Amino acid sequence: MSLLRRWSPWALLLLALAGLLGPILLGEAEKTVAPPFSRPLWLDRTAPPTVHLHLSPEVREKTLDWIWEPPAGLALKGTYRLPPGTSGKIVWDGPSGPVPLASLTGAGSLSLDGRDIAFRLRLGLSPFQSPLETLFADRGSYRLAYEGPEPEALSVELHLSGGRWGLLGTDQRGRDVFRLFLAGISVSLLIGLAATLLATLVGTSAGLLSGYLGGPVDSLVMRLADLLLALPLLPLLMVLAGLWGRGLWQLVLILGLFSWMGTARTVRSLTLSLREAPFVENLRALGAPTWYILGRHLLPEALPVLLATVTLGVPGAILAEAGLAFLGLSDPRLLSWGRMLHEAHGFGAFTAGAWWILLPPGLGIVFVCLAFLDLGRFLEEKADPRLRETLP
Amino acid sequence: MKALALLLLSLMTALPAWAIDVESLRGPRLEELYFVIVRDSDAQLLALERGTTHLVTDLIRPVDIERLTRRDDVVLSLTPAFHMMEMGFNLRRSPWDRQELRQAIASVIDREGIVRDLFGGYALALETFLPPISPYFEEQVPRFGHDVDEARNLLARSGWSWDGSNRLVDPSGAPLEPVRLLSPLAQVSPTTAELAQRLALAMESLGLPVTVDPLDFPVLVERLNSHDFDLFLLAWSLTRDPDNLFSFFHSSMDVKNGYNIPGLRDAGLDAILERLRFAPDETAARQAASEAQKALAELVPVIPLYSRYSVTAHSKAWTGFISSEKVTPDNLWSLLSIEPAQGPMIPFRWNLGEEPRNLNPLAAGSAYDWQILGLLYESLLSVDPYDLSDRPGLAESWTLERIGEEDKRATRLTFRLRPDLFWHDGKPLTARDVAFTLERLKALEVPRFFDSVRDMASVNSPDERTVVVTMDQVSFWHLHNIGGLPILPAHILEKVDSWRDWQPATTDHGEGLTELVGSGPFVFREYRPGQYVRLTRFDRYWRLPLEP
Amino acid sequence: MTYWSRRLLGALAVLFAVLALNFALFRLMPGDPVTSLVDPRFSPEAKEALSRAYGLDRPLGEQFLLYLKQTVTFDFGLSFVSGRPVWQELRDRLPHTVALSGSALVLAGTMGTALGVAAARRRGGAVERVVLAAGALSFSFPSFFLQLLLLLAFAVLWPLFPLRGSVSVPAPQGAAFIADYLHHLALPVLSLALLGFGSWALYVRNLMVKILGSEPLFLARAKGLPEPVLLWRHAFRTALPPLLTLILLSLPGLLSGAVITETVFSLHGVGRFLLESIQGQDYPAAGGAFYLLALVTVTSNVLADLAYGLADPRIRVDRRKGQ
Repeated sequence: MSLLRRWSPWALLLLALAGLLGPILLGEAEKTVAPPFSRPLWLDRTAPPTVHLHLSPEVREKTLDWIWEPPAGLALKGTYRLPPGTSGKIVWDGPSGPVPLASLTGAGSLSLDGRDIAFRLRLGLSPFQSPLETLFADRGSYRLAYEGPEPEALSVELHLSGGRWGLLGTDQRGRDVFRLFLAGISVSLLIGLAATLLATLVGTSAGLLSGYLGGPVDSLVMRLADLLLALPLLPLLMVLAGLWGRGLWQLVLILGLFSWMGTARTVRSLTLSLREAPFVENLRALGAPTWYILGRHLLPEALPVLLATVTLGVPGAILAEAGLAFLGLSDPRLLSWGRMLHEAHGFGAFTAGAWWILLPPGLGIVFVCLAFLDLGRFLEEKADPRLRETLP
Repeated sequence: MKALALLLLSLMTALPAWAIDVESLRGPRLEELYFVIVRDSDAQLLALERGTTHLVTDLIRPVDIERLTRRDDVVLSLTPAFHMMEMGFNLRRSPWDRQELRQAIASVIDREGIVRDLFGGYALALETFLPPISPYFEEQVPRFGHDVDEARNLLARSGWSWDGSNRLVDPSGAPLEPVRLLSPLAQVSPTTAELAQRLALAMESLGLPVTVDPLDFPVLVERLNSHDFDLFLLAWSLTRDPDNLFSFFHSSMDVKNGYNIPGLRDAGLDAILERLRFAPDETAARQAASEAQKALAELVPVIPLYSRYSVTAHSKAWTGFISSEKVTPDNLWSLLSIEPAQGPMIPFRWNLGEEPRNLNPLAAGSAYDWQILGLLYESLLSVDPYDLSDRPGLAESWTLERIGEEDKRATRLTFRLRPDLFWHDGKPLTARDVAFTLERLKALEVPRFFDSVRDMASVNSPDERTVVVTMDQVSFWHLHNIGGLPILPAHILEKVDSWRDWQPATTDHGEGLTELVGSGPFVFREYRPGQYVRLTRFDRYWRLPLEP
Repeated sequence: MTYWSRRLLGALAVLFAVLALNFALFRLMPGDPVTSLVDPRFSPEAKEALSRAYGLDRPLGEQFLLYLKQTVTFDFGLSFVSGRPVWQELRDRLPHTVALSGSALVLAGTMGTALGVAAARRRGGAVERVVLAAGALSFSFPSFFLQLLLLLAFAVLWPLFPLRGSVSVPAPQGAAFIADYLHHLALPVLSLALLGFGSWALYVRNLMVKILGSEPLFLARAKGLPEPVLLWRHAFRTALPPLLTLILLSLPGLLSGAVITETVFSLHGVGRFLLESIQGQDYPAAGGAFYLLALVTVTSNVLADLAYGLADPRIRVDRRKGQ
């Protein structure tokens, strides 16, 4: 099979597998895993690692040697119960002296975060100053300690996040870009294939009927196709997305119903040329019903061409979906590649210089479209070997 | 909520000990002012960093704020805003009519977590029904906190239970049906989708199956107006007067298109809200506002979630900005007093984040329009930048009286105008202009000002400098409603027969003016769509010359 | 009926259908435009007054007749948002869109034609490989992705070009204005040309390959005409009518593309106006912009037929039917 020697079927197969298995193996793409705009792990090896320090009644002090830049995020969480009427505190001690992080009285829970403005103000900083640069001003030995009377219960954890994460870093909400990328595969493939199949179904039926029946049906269908072709596609899709909703299946419906015209024309002209073929005329003379002739003889003749049309139509649908999503006209819960670019653009990937968010979804779209084009071209040549003259 | 009190305290102590007396302020010093239209956040930042604009307002993205904190030629300021994001219930339906369920839901929401993850910390977790910046904010109200166990205990005490699959079962033994949380599909603040998802998860932890239904804003509003919903998510932009609590929660507002969307009908609260709306003076207003906030904290018809901060950045190349813990430096007072830190006077460039869509004071609705119109037109009263109290505007003094008999009470407002007022075209501004403006706003049914002038019974100008306005009911808020209206010149307004069709910004008025003629410190010169709006100093403004 | 009158009538019918669709689409849009204009402080009475003012309380049939009458005279009504006539809003923005699409078309067309001809002349050469690759990329590269990359590279990391807008603020006067305008237009046009030239080149190449292999050209070559004369005088001239048609047929796509380009680069054009109007539920504005784009599409389709027919008088049947 010469098909197996092309690169595109393999590439598409691999992508589909990754899209199917990725979310299962790696988990929920929507989850926040690291600070926003964390770099990919391989990009910057000087960034600090992720560190947890846990304090308990038995271990009331932990030390840490810090040799990196300040971390990207800090969170102090936990619960405690002190003897009645006493108080204690959690202290951060380092080369530039001790800083009390939290004071504890009675029993309760703690939840502090480097992003809290109240926490910044308590450390004597402005609302815009990150406490991390103060708490990790120098490299050296640091100590997290509980100071106070013997606690009845204590479970406090300091969580320092490094600012590096995974294969492709994180986006503006701290989600893993690689997982989002994998989640986007299924959306793009699903929309591209479903919309094109729908368009082909509509287009083939319209083309067969129009070409075979001719007369008023033909005029009606072709005028309708003319009308739809006379409408600017993207603006129309934008209006309809606002009208019919923005979910996955609405998009498929919209894309499918407004891109069948090309297929209809191709099938119609094919049918026209076949209609007068001797074998069809013979069948008609023998009294074969219309649906039989259409279904058993005309459709199979058209099939190879249709297969190529479907394949070549997929990139169009994928690009249209990506465009709508990029303009913000898709459902925000639909994790598509277009949506990723929309969010990256809207949420400051530029300001953060986070190119690792922009490249994967964009290149993903290009790659899938190229694969379908390659496959489609191959099928086209199979269907019509004359094409080889102009398209190597 | 210790954190909140602490925050307000610190912001206050961060203020300079001196505050400019806005009454004796002279200005503007600026000769020319450009509102440069840059909508893209990345471009806004670059423009500020490269010095092509001098002031950027409404910074929202944490990544932008963090980037600007690293620059030493930019000053960042932050104040709480009159903003409130809330999740509401439809109290007309079961089970939302159960107060303990609403209270329980209020305490399973991790507001601090939301603020951290969605806004990088740059928002205020809100547990009260007025934002803390409001002059009528009541500190001593019950708070919900974030305590899942306590929420479950509360429900269990009232007879609720959970079935085998952790589904919540109401006291009559029926498990709760899945419901939808309607949320706006906002292009501007995509954080809302994420917020809705988090709320749904929080409610699920309580055994309440919730799915999120993001809708286009107009669709959402339609569903809310026709009371076809269970749960909704909505943001409000509030004003300094707390009488909007009346619109939001009084039973008379529980009608189609009314603002009492949850459908709260509570006789006790109604009585308090009536005392608030028709308060005769500030003391009574303050008392009623405080009681209303306490009552609402028990009733929980909606759950307050967070309040935005206004974050503004300006270039250090300019000095004289006026800001406080209540207002960021992007205000009229700053524009009166700023000047270049060194060198000669140059045009000031203010980044406008949206196109001013409709420069018509009778029709404009967007904040971006009013950013400009607010500099062209003045009102009878102005608002103090430090405590948001009333300050003189066109009126140098005013009185508020209760008049009439027991059953036919009314309010009389008397304003005494300044003696040195002129319109941009040189004509003097008199009491007749003020009276005519108020009458026309009522006659033309201008929606924006409809509610402010609806109760106006009569308005006269006994002399050139005195305006007497009589309002049908007794209410302290009438002073702000009338005192805050923009005053337009009678000689232009009398030519306007439809508030909507008037195109003042493109109608020529001679001598380089358009029909946007006001009495404010700046004169409108031109608007180039997609580029800028240019204003120049009004040399006969009453705070000029600089040295009287 | 002659071919041309049939063609024009057909175009008019399409236009009418577009109008009806346009009206229906925007009336069917969910929600009520008034809701996006109101202020939390509005009472129900205030909202009703607003609805009356916009004529939204009148029957639908009446609204449609009014709409038809107005659209024919390019009176799209007042924008809900700005209160200005929609036609004025569009007229302000049209030149920017035309400048963007026009220069992109010229650039892509010139590059594409030159490369396409070159590729056809030397089959299997380096130029042909470039053309084929560029053609494939132009069908698979999302325009906004390329534009974002260009912006990131040449406006943020290496700030040679402005990040946004059609001109600097305030704009310089005189000749400097033109330079400034071009400076702002450079990246958007470049991005469109980079994406567009590939499909042009591919088309021209295929066309030229066919023509160069045809009988008349074979005869001319046999006569010993020099290669450049053969190529430009004979082959290229034959290719002109289809190229002209292609130019006209590619206009609508360019305008559609303007929506995305203008959004990415914050250009003040018709496309972004359409997007904003849709988002803001501004029916008259969105309807006007959509109608304008549809009008350009229909007109260029008719002109394409006309051009094709004029260049080749033998064609008397519908070009599309005989596909």
